[in-house]
Parts: sequence; C-alpha cells; structure tokens
Amino acid sequence: MKQNNLILEVKDLRLDFNTYRGAVKALNGVNFKLYKHEVLGLVGESGCGKSVTALTIINLLPENAEVKGGEILFKEEDLLKKSKEQIRTMRAEEFATVFQDPMTFLNPVLNIGTQLEESFMLEKKALKAAVVAQRSQGKANINYSEFLAMKGKEDTILTNETKVSGKEIKKMAQNLCADVLRMVKLPDPERILRQYPFELSGGMRQRCMIAMALARRPSLFIADEITTALDVTIQAQILHLMRELRDTIDASTLMITHDLAVAAEIANRIAVMYAGNVVELTETREIFRRPLHPYTQLLMKAIPNVAKPVEKLESIPGTVPDLINPPTGCRFHPRCPYVMPICPTAFPKTTQPFKEHEVACYLYPQG
Amino acid sequence: MTNKETRTSELQATIADIKYTLHLLRQNPLVVIGSGIAIFFILLALVANLIVNPAVANQFNFSRSYLWNNPIISWGPLARTGGPPAQPLGTDGYGRDLLQMMILAIPLDLRTAFIIVAGAALFGIILGAIASYAGGIIDEAVLRVTDIFFAFPSLVLALVFAALFGRTLDTLTLAVLFVWWPPYVRLIRGQVLAEKEKTYVEALRAMGAGHLRILFRHILPNSIYPLIVQITLDIGGVILTFSALMFLGFSPTPAIPELGNLASDGITHVFDAPWLILFPGLTIVLISLAFNLVGDGLRDVLDPRLRR
Amino acid sequence: MIFVLLGVSVIVFIVSRGVPSAINPLGQYITPKTRPEDIQQIIKMHGFDQPLPIQYFYWLRDAFQGDWGYSFWAQGLPTNEVFFSRFPYTIELSIASVILTVAIGLPLGIISALKNNKIPDHISRIIALTGYSTPAYWFGFILQLVFFYYFFLWGLPHLPSSLAISPILERAVPQVTSMPVLDGILAGNLNYTLDAIAHLILPAFSLAFISLGYLARIIRASMLEVLRQDYIIMARSKGLTERVVIYRHALKNALIPAVTLTGLFFAGLLGGAMITEYVFSWPGVGRASLMAISQNDTNFIMLYTLITAAIIVVANLIVDIAYLFLDPRIKY
Repeated sequence: MKQNNLILEVKDLRLDFNTYRGAVKALNGVNFKLYKHEVLGLVGESGCGKSVTALTIINLLPENAEVKGGEILFKEEDLLKKSKEQIRTMRAEEFATVFQDPMTFLNPVLNIGTQLEESFMLEKKALKAAVVAQRSQGKANINYSEFLAMKGKEDTILTNETKVSGKEIKKMAQNLCADVLRMVKLPDPERILRQYPFELSGGMRQRCMIAMALARRPSLFIADEITTALDVTIQAQILHLMRELRDTIDASTLMITHDLAVAAEIANRIAVMYAGNVVELTETREIFRRPLHPYTQLLMKAIPNVAKPVEKLESIPGTVPDLINPPTGCRFHPRCPYVMPICPTAFPKTTQPFKEHEVACYLYPQG
Repeated sequence: MTNKETRTSELQATIADIKYTLHLLRQNPLVVIGSGIAIFFILLALVANLIVNPAVANQFNFSRSYLWNNPIISWGPLARTGGPPAQPLGTDGYGRDLLQMMILAIPLDLRTAFIIVAGAALFGIILGAIASYAGGIIDEAVLRVTDIFFAFPSLVLALVFAALFGRTLDTLTLAVLFVWWPPYVRLIRGQVLAEKEKTYVEALRAMGAGHLRILFRHILPNSIYPLIVQITLDIGGVILTFSALMFLGFSPTPAIPELGNLASDGITHVFDAPWLILFPGLTIVLISLAFNLVGDGLRDVLDPRLRR
Repeated sequence: MIFVLLGVSVIVFIVSRGVPSAINPLGQYITPKTRPEDIQQIIKMHGFDQPLPIQYFYWLRDAFQGDWGYSFWAQGLPTNEVFFSRFPYTIELSIASVILTVAIGLPLGIISALKNNKIPDHISRIIALTGYSTPAYWFGFILQLVFFYYFFLWGLPHLPSSLAISPILERAVPQVTSMPVLDGILAGNLNYTLDAIAHLILPAFSLAFISLGYLARIIRASMLEVLRQDYIIMARSKGLTERVVIYRHALKNALIPAVTLTGLFFAGLLGGAMITEYVFSWPGVGRASLMAISQNDTNFIMLYTLITAAIIVVANLIVDIAYLFLDPRIKY
C-alpha cells in the first residue's frame, strides 16, 4: 500500500574497505526503506556504518571501497548499476548532502556567494525557465518557493524560441541565492554572499550548507551528523530550521546522527544501526516506547534520566567490534545479554513482530 | 611495564613501521628502480679500487688524448685520430681511459657526498633542535643567522669560500657543507616547534624528564621522517653542487678522479670530443636521479597522513 | 629584512677584506690612469689606512654612493657600471626561464596529482626528477651539442649556442631596456626580436628544465593534499563536474605554496644562472661574476652578492603580498 510512496530502498548492501591490514567489512547487508516526505533517522555509534551508507548512495567513497553486493533502488532504479557520470548528474539534481563540520566542508578561499551560485548554475535550463516565468509574470523577482514549484515543469515553460541572455541567468541565480539564504533564516543575505566561510559563525556556516543543499531542489536530502559539531543551543536552532523545512520542501530526508535525542526531535521513523547492519527500524515513538532489539534496549537504558536519581551510569558492556575480523553471525552477540547458541551462526533475518516495526534478532520468531 | 618491556615493544613497533614502509615502497616501481641504481653505484664504489688501478689517475699520456674508437658512433673529426686499442668510452684530454677514470671517480663523489650531507645534517639538526626547543633569544639568533645564509645563492657562497680558502679537496668539501646546513635548521625547527606544544611533552615534564632527554629521546624520533627524506634527496643535490665546483675550475689538479673534474676537460672540445662531457655528466645524472627517486618515493610514503 | 642584508654585507666584507688571503683593496680603486700622487688621497678617502671595522663603514658609505671602484678585468670600467650593464640580460633570461618553468611544470604537477600512481604520474615524475638531477652545466652543453652542432651537421635549422643576440645585429635597435627581446619588440624590429628569441631559447630551457621538476613535485604534493580535504568531497557531492572541482575548488588552494616557490625560484635564478650563463656565453651578471671571482675582484663579488641577497629578500616580501590576494584568511 505504501509502495508508490517509496523513494529509496536499500537492499542487502555490503561494502568492504580494502586496507593494508585486511578488508574492513563495513557494511554487512544494510536494509531499509525511505518513503516520500518522511524523515528517517539513521542512528548508531561511531563506526557503525551510517555515514558510509549515505556516501555509498551518492557514490562518494574513497578509492579503496568496494561494494560487495546488494542494491540501492532510487525511484526504482539501481544506483549501483549507474555510471559515474549519471550519478554525478543525479547529485546535481536529486541528491543533496549536508555534512558534519561546516568549517572543513566549505572551501576557505571561495566566498559563500560563489559556492552557492555554482549549485544553481548547474541547472541552466531551470534558471532559464525561471527568467521566462519572471518575465511573463512581470514580477520583480522569482523567489525560492516558486522556483521549487517549477521543478520538473521547465519544458512547459520554455519554448524553442525563448531567448535568455547569460547575464539574466546569472542575475537570476544571484537572486535565488539571496532568497535561499533567507529561507534558512540568515539575516542580510547580500552581505553574507560576499563573505568567506571563516568570517561566519559555526551556526551560520551550517545554515549556508543547508542553503547549498536546498539550491538543488533535491528529492533526497542527506544530513550527515549536521549538528554534531555545533553547541547545544545552535543545535536546537538548526533542528528547528530542519523541522520547518521538512514541511516546506518536497524531499525525503535521511538524518544521520549518533544522538538519539536529535533523531527523536525530527525523524518520523528511526533505524538503529550496529556494526554494519540495521538492527531495528520503526516509528519514533514506538522505538522509545517498545525497543525490541537488545542493543536498542541497552542504548535506552544508557541515557540517564534527568528526573530519576541514579547511583551508577548504565553502559553497554564490551567494546565496538573490530570490523576486519567481525564477530560471526549477529555482530552484537558478544555483548548481548540474551545471547543464544544460534546467534553466531548467521545474521538473523529481519522480521516484523509488530506492525511497522522491523527488527533483526533471533529473539523474535524468524518466520 | 618495566623499562625493558617498554623498549622491546617500542622496538617491535619501529620494526613494524619499517616493514610497512618497505611494503609501500615496493609498490612504487620508480622507487624500486631508483634504489636498484643507487645500490648498484654504492656497490661499485666499494669495489672500484679493486677493479681499476688507482694509479691510472696520475698517468698523463698526451699522445693518446681525445680518442674514441667506437665503430658504431663517430663523434667528429678528432675521434678518428690516434691508434687502436679501444677504450669503451674513449680517452680524456690526458690520455686516460675515461671509463676507468669514471669508475675511480664514483667512490670519491659518493664518499664526499655522504660526508657533506652527514655533516650538514648533523650540524643543522643539532643546532636547530636546541635553538627551537630553547626558544627565546637563542632561537631568534639562530633564525636570523639562518636567514642570512638563505639569502645567499648557495653556489656563490661556496665559490667565494673556495676561492678564498684555497683549493684542496677538503676545503671544497667544507665549502659545500658550509652552504648546506641551513635547510636542516628550518626543517627541524618546524618539527620541534610543532611537537613542543603537544601534550605528551607536558606530561614528560611533569614526570620530571630533563630537557635534553625530552628533546633527543622523544621529540627527535618523532620528527625523523622529513629528515630522512631530506637527507636522501640531498645526496643527489650535493653531488651536483660539488661536481659543479670542480667543473668550474676549482679543482686542485686534474689528477683527482671526480666526475665534474672529468667533465671540465671537455668544455673546450664539446663538439669534437663530446663523450668527455657526455659520460661523466650522464653518470652524475644517474646517481642523482637514483637518490632523488628514492627520496621522492620516501616522501610520499612517509607522509603521516597517508599511512594507514 | 634590513638586518639580513646588513648581515650579508658584513659577512661579505669580512670574507673579502678580513681574511689573510685578501688582496689589497686599493687595487680596486685605481685605474691605469691614476696619478701616483693621488694614491695617498684615495687611500684616505676610502679609509684603507683605518682598522677593519672602521673600513666597513667607509665601505658602506661608498656603497651607498655607488662608488664600487673599478673592475680591471672589464676594461677598467667602474664596477657598478659593469654590473648594471649586464644585469638586464640576466633578468631577461630569468623571466624567460620562469615562464617556461611554470608553463611546463604546472601542468606536469597537476597531471601527476590527478593520475596519482598511474602511468602519467610515473612519466611526469621521471621527467621532473631527471630535471633536477641534471647538472646545469652538463645539460647546457648537451643542448648546444644537439641543437647547435648536430642540427648544423645534419643540415637542420639550428639554434645559436651563445650570446644574447647575433653580433651583426647588435646595434640595430636602440637599447632602451637592454633586454634584447624587449628592445626588439619596442622598436618593432621583427628580425631583431626573432633573433633575440632564438638566442634565448636554449639557455632559458636549460635553466627551466632543472627547476620545472621541483615545481611539478610541489604542485603535486600540494594538490594531493588539497584533494583529500573535506571541501572537495562537498564540491563533488554538489554534482559539480570533475573539471570544475579541480580548477575552481582545488587549484586555488593548491597554488598557495607554489606561489612561494616560484617567487623564490626567480630570486634563485638571478643568482644561480651563473653556470648557464657561463655555458652559453650569455652576457649577464652571472658569467661576469665568475670572471670576477677568478680575478679576485672583490668589489664586484660584494656587489653581486649583496644585490642577489636583496633580490631574494624582496622576492620573499612579494610572495607574502601575493598570499594576501590568494588566501582571504590572511590579513595584515
């Protein structure tokens, strides 16, 4: 019933990194679905493979990465079978990624305006259409929301004889830049366009990165630990912004974070990852109400409750597994309080013990 | 952990490091070729005095100068004068077999290059390390002096030095050494300044370690990679400079077998007897290239950020 | 900066006048035309009868006034005239060299970085490293051998092997800048200009061959460093073409160290062009200085060393200023 609402489906994705000391088996069969207009939180500790999954979707992995199996179906096409050039075009038109550290991810020697403009200038056709629409409507400026609405409809606006000069295209791009900065609640956009990244604060830089993502009017928005490098108050502001944008823009969001609280703020559904697998996936409220996987349960217990006094902080025993020689079968079994003899044999199948609640654990009937 | 245990595990770590480095180096074909050539020359240098009679350098037989009897290539008019026995690479202006002279020259060049680089590196490193670690006026003073040396084009300084202090092999060696140490000071300075601020140094101080101990037992070993690279590259560079000095006429006597010296004879007969310049020069290029290839490969491989 | 120059001058002074093997400086301030009666006066004027440290100040004063004595090996002309009449030729050679170095070295370095550890990288590495393993003197002669002598023997059009301009054409054009190519262009004399360029090619290439390797390696290292940065991942994630990523995002960052290097090169060339000038009989300051050294013309050597040091210092300054433009993070 929800099938036609599906925008991204990752099936059994396996990935290795080939290093001097051996193959790091980073992804061990990742499965999840992402529906239109929803925010899916991908949660897990450092090294569990959540960023790697995102990078695999947009094909920005380092050279020693090797996909070992699986499919990534975006709008029903397998991304793994596409050529580099095709993926590049999709990065320009469909995917947008915002990364963790706005200081290192912005080019220090180019100003914000240049970095923002280049995203718009990738789609000259869209800009042309915007100019034409502006002319016909006789308005002063097209704003971003209208630009957004025009996505996909360029051909209906443009005819063969429309003549748009390069200057007009550039001007349109600049207008849109200023407008998209307004959308991310940055004051005085014209000034910011002329500034360099080091002249802005961390929160402002992050908003600029989000603006750069918006410029591409993406269908898939990937936010990779976007709040991790910011302090808590700024974090709250950015999440607030994301919530507003979630309702205005037309994209599905993959929200990657190690902080359950952050995911809870903004995600419709949450997927918990551990050592290269998705171990539990369900709606946000449900996962807090009824965590099924032992790992998720321990995670919940580890979060200290401000209201209740405790004597000892709970933690998960053991350490994160070495991915060159990972534990066999279910990778969590060495640390699991409910470990059973069947656990090390093979990775458990994903089942749905409750409606819309998936889990990969032998504790639940594998039928 | 006892002292002994710490040292053994440190040793093991270093050995593992070296193994990893060699593994990476092996993957680069150029480095392999370069090291092959370098090893060849070093071996040649070691046996040179055995295969060629050193007395050859002192034989001046002017009736057999500038001869070349190679049936395949004829270089020009002068080559055809003179008699039979063919020296593989012809004779130089004094009638000596060029090939034999070159073989004699290799150990001299290599040895001088090693001495100069070792001396310059030692001096520069110690001076720079102490100065930058101490900081304050000492550091400033050494910095200024180094700046002054940097302002001189190296060849000029070496030439002036040589012109003034006489032309023996030793003064020439010293001249080049004199010019070669500043880069080491800069190099070690950069490293020490960076390491000084790191927390482990603070920890060592808190444990009561003395300054010298910290400097030489901890900071220097951590800074060693760029130094290794620089030393390797410099061997190539020093040979060039030293032979240039010889070439420009600062050699004491033509009897000294040295590649630049041999080449300088050939200036006046470049067109008639080009082999005189060609072969010694080519040898210098090969030796220098070999060390540069290795040094360059090392630089790539020892970059801490590229190591996994 | 001034300190460095002063330091250089002190060292040079001590080396030329303070060491036991130094010659009597008087010899440099007299010409065959000097009358014996004037010698005492000359001695007093330049302080030769004073102790060494005081002599230094006399010398400093003389230097500022431009009185560097006479160079007997150069037809007894005043030393500063000998120097500055030859200086433009060295400048011309240096500029041509730097242009060649950048034109060949930059692309070589970029290719090396982009195709890291693949065949183009290996080829470019060999070219680059052979470049700076080659002795300047040797390469110059080999070039002459091939392009002058053998081309001539084989009946091919050949390049001249010495001098900056063919003697026949020497006075054909007013010497405005004393740099043959420039003068030729200014005078609109095509023949002259082409001849000047023909003379320039071999020596400039000889110099460039050695430095381009170094530049290529630095660019390669710098580019590799930049290409590893996060903002390059960001640029790629925006869907920009590889070309744009490299030329707009990466290169600007990578060029910063290269600019330092080019600036220092130029300065080094002005000093180190010595050997190349010698090999090609190029009428520049480098070749003159070699003759001065062998003739113990200490004044010339001092002038030469000072000017070269000054140029290097100035070059450093210019490079620092260039940083201001390239890297917006730097402000004074």
